[in-house]
Amino acid sequence: MGKIIGIDLGTTNSCVAVMEGDKPRVIENSEGGRTTPSIVAYAEEGEVLVGQPAKRQAVTNPKNTLFAIKRLIGRKF
Amino acid sequence: MSKKNRENKDTVEQEQPQAGAEQAAEAEPKALEAPDIEALEKELNEAEAKATEHWEHVLRLQAELENTRRRAERDVQGAHKYALEKFVNELLPVKDSLEMGEAAAQVEDADLEKVREGIELTLKMMSDVMSKFGVAEVNPVGQPFNPDLHQAMSMQDVPDARPNTVVAVYQKGYQLNDRLVRPAMVVVASANSGAHVPPEGDNGGNIDEMA
Repeated sequence: MGKIIGIDLGTTNSCVAVMEGDKPRVIENSEGGRTTPSIVAYAEEGEVLVGQPAKRQAVTNPKNTLFAIKRLIGRKF
Repeated sequence: MSKKNRENKDTVEQEQPQAGAEQAAEAEPKALEAPDIEALEKELNEAEAKATEHWEHVLRLQAELENTRRRAERDVQGAHKYALEKFVNELLPVKDSLEMGEAAAQVEDADLEKVREGIELTLKMMSDVMSKFGVAEVNPVGQPFNPDLHQAMSMQDVPDARPNTVVAVYQKGYQLNDRLVRPAMVVVASANSGAHVPPEGDNGGNIDEMA
């Protein structure tokens, strides 16, 4: 049987946990954080940044940094 | 093994009607039935015994897994509580120095030069303790902006710097064993910068430099 994961896709932060037996365990991201900012950025040379690094460069790349896009889900494009 | 016997029996039964000897067909299955039932029963008992054995094995493994997990939790909690012990031990001389410095500064006609020296030495002690435990400083003046380590506070037009490099550091960042603890707060040169950057070999050619 495959693993069961739960994803909390929040407007500002997201969190993911996996079921280990009967207990959920939150998975840390590459920086050790248990939640990740819901921000994605498209940097030069096609590099895609997600989470804290994307948040940190928002000032330098405002046109290609997206946040709170969950508010746009379901609306007309 | 018995499956193959059954398949052979089926093909044998199919062939018999073709030959037209139906009685022979009835007689053959009857002759094979009795030993088959016994063999099948024996196999069933063996299979059930094996299944129970496997089931018990699984239960034992589950219990072991649960125990291992609890042990690991206990270890992690213990590690959390006492992980800082060595670090605290090394920090104590730094605190002692700061207290001595404070006491020296409270004196009426305190010698500012001595206090300054003391602060420098205490800062050096602190930096030594931190690097001993794998804490590295992130002070990226002049380096290209790296969102993994730096936090951009603002952008500035700086003629002396290439675009997207760090021109000022408001606050140093720190890493602990390659994991970022605090990003460095920096000011980044905007895209309009770089008008007076001395060209390197592969630079597009600064008009001011072209003869």
